[in-house]
Amino acid sequence: MKASRVWVLVKGELLRLNKYNIFAISILVAIIWGVMLYFVNSTILATLLPMVLLVDASMMSIMYIGSVMFFEKSEFTISTMLVTPSTNAELVLSKVLANTIHNLFSSVLIIIAFVLLKDVKLNYFLIFVGIVVTTTFFTIFGYYMAYFQKNFTGMLVNIMIFAFALLIPSLLYEVHVITADWFQYVLVINPFQAGAELIGGGFKDYVFEWQYYFSLAYLLIGTVLVYRFLVLPKFHDYSIRQSGV
Amino acid sequence: MYKVEDLRFKYPKNKDDVIKGISFEIKEGEIFGFLGPSGAGKSTTQKILIKILEDYRGKISYSGKDVSEFGNDFYEDIGVSFEMPIHFSKMTAMENINFFLKLYKRNADVETLMKRVGLWESKDKMVGEFSKGMKIRLNIVRALLNEPKMLFLDEPTNGIDPANAKILKDLVKEFRDAGGTVFITSHIMSDIDQLCDRVAFIVDGEIKEIDSPRNLKIRYGKRELRVEYKENGKTITREFPMDNIGKNEEFLTLLQTKDIETIHSGETTLEDIFIKVTGVGLRDESE
Ligand SMILES: Nc1ncnc2c1ncn2[C@@H]1O[C@H](COP(=O)(O)OP(=O)(O)OP(=O)(O)O)[C@@H](O)[C@H]1O
Ligand SMILES: [Mg+2]
Repeated sequence: MKASRVWVLVKGELLRLNKYNIFAISILVAIIWGVMLYFVNSTILATLLPMVLLVDASMMSIMYIGSVMFFEKSEFTISTMLVTPSTNAELVLSKVLANTIHNLFSSVLIIIAFVLLKDVKLNYFLIFVGIVVTTTFFTIFGYYMAYFQKNFTGMLVNIMIFAFALLIPSLLYEVHVITADWFQYVLVINPFQAGAELIGGGFKDYVFEWQYYFSLAYLLIGTVLVYRFLVLPKFHDYSIRQSGV
Repeated sequence: MYKVEDLRFKYPKNKDDVIKGISFEIKEGEIFGFLGPSGAGKSTTQKILIKILEDYRGKISYSGKDVSEFGNDFYEDIGVSFEMPIHFSKMTAMENINFFLKLYKRNADVETLMKRVGLWESKDKMVGEFSKGMKIRLNIVRALLNEPKMLFLDEPTNGIDPANAKILKDLVKEFRDAGGTVFITSHIMSDIDQLCDRVAFIVDGEIKEIDSPRNLKIRYGKRELRVEYKENGKTITREFPMDNIGKNEEFLTLLQTKDIETIHSGETTLEDIFIKVTGVGLRDESE
C-alpha cells in the first residue's frame, strides 16, 4: 500500500465524481432535503433532521457507490486499472475513501444550512464521527452489494427492498407494535439502527448508553470485516467480469 | 523476455479449453506477432501474459522468473493496449493521461508522444468525442506512458485508416529499435506483415507455426519469377522457377529480346501461407 498512490487514485475518483455530475446530483439532493426540512416546525425537525442525515449516510452511500461502479463498468476502465501498479487494496480503498468524502460533503451542506437557518444545536465532533463512520460502513457495504447487481434499475430495487427490510423492525419498535424488551438487543444488529445511534449522538438530547458504544464498535469492526473478507477477495473476479473478459 | 510452456486455459463458464497447450518464446528486443482468425485465442493469451486471467495451467516466465512471483510492480515494466479503446469518456485526453501517468514511477514525455500520434491538438477534447482511430491512438499513448520494457498491443491496427496505421507501426518499430519488446496480435496479416520479427499462427487455441515472416516465405512461398512483357500490343505473363535462373536460356533470351513491363519474384503473402499452413482463412466472413 502506497499512500501517495492512494491519494492519486482518490483525487482521480473525486475528479470523476465531478465530471460525471454525481457531485451536482448530491448538491441537488441536499437542497431538496434542506427545502423540505425548512418548512417543518422545530419539534418535527428535531426528529426529522437525524433521520435525513441517516438516510444520506446510509441509503445514499449505497446508491452513490453503486452508480459509480456502474459508470465504471460501462466504460470498461477497470481493466486498465488492473494493469497499473496499483494494488487491489489501493483501488478498493481509494474508491471507498473518495465516496465517503463525497457523501460527507452533502451531509455537511445539510448541517451547515440548519445551523445557520434553524439554530440547531449540535456537537460537531460527534456528528462528524457519526456521519463518517456510518458513511464508510455503508459505502463498503454498497461496494459489496454492487458485485451482485446486474443492471442499474435492478440495483435501485434491491437497495429499496434491503432498506425496507431493515428499517421496518426499527419502525415497529418505535411505534410500539413490538414491545418486548429483548427486541432492542435484536435491533442493534441492524446497521441502520447502529447508524441512527451514532448520528443521534451528535444531537443535544441524546442519552449515551451501551447502545452508542456498541454501535460505534459494531460499524467500525463491520467496515473492516466487510472490506477484508467480502470486498477484497472478490475484487479481482468482479473486475474481470466487468472488463468484458 | 517471455517463455511460455504448455499453456492451457479454460474460461470458468466453458466446458473446453480455449488455449490448448501452446508454447512459445518472446525474445528481448523483438516484435512478436500473434496472428489468427477471430476467436483463436489471441486476446485470451495476451490477458494471461499480463496477469489478468489467472487460472491457467502451464508455465509462464518473464525475465527468467515465474510471472506469478511478481507483485504489482510488474506493471511498471509493462504497457498494455486492449482490444477495445478504454478511457474515461467524460474527461479530456489530457485528463485521462495525467491521471494514469501519476500511477507510475517512470514517466514518458507526453507532449512528444501525443504530437507523434497527432493528438496534441485534441488534447483538451473529451475522449467521448474522439473518433475510433483517435481513441486507438490514445490507447497506444496510454500504453507507452510508463516507458515500458514490454508492450502488449491487441489488434492495434483494427479499424483505423492506413495513414494512422502507419504512424502506429512506425511508433512500434521505434519502440523496438530503442530496445523494447512487443507482443502484437492481429487477424489481418498484411497489417503487420512487415512489422513483425517473428510471427506465430494461432488457430483454435493451438499454435501451428512460429517463424520469421521471411523464413516462412522462403519455406512456403512459391520460388518463382513472374515476367510480364509486351508482344504485338498484348501483355504476356511467363513464370520461371527461381532455381538456376541465371542459366535459364529461355528466361535470359526473353530479357534480352522483349519489351519487359514487370518482373516479380513469386512472393507468397503471409496470408497465403497462413491458409496453406492452417487450412483456415484469416478474415471473418463478416468483415
Ligand atoms: N469471457 C469469456 N467467457 C467465455 N468464453 C470466452 C470469453 N472470452 C472469450 N471467450 C472464448 O474464447 C475463445 C478465444 O477468444 P479470444 O477473445 O481470445 O479470441 P481472439 O483470437 O482474440 O479473437 P478476435 O480476433 O475476435 O479478437 C473464443 O472462442 C471466445 O468465444
Ligand atoms: Mg481478440
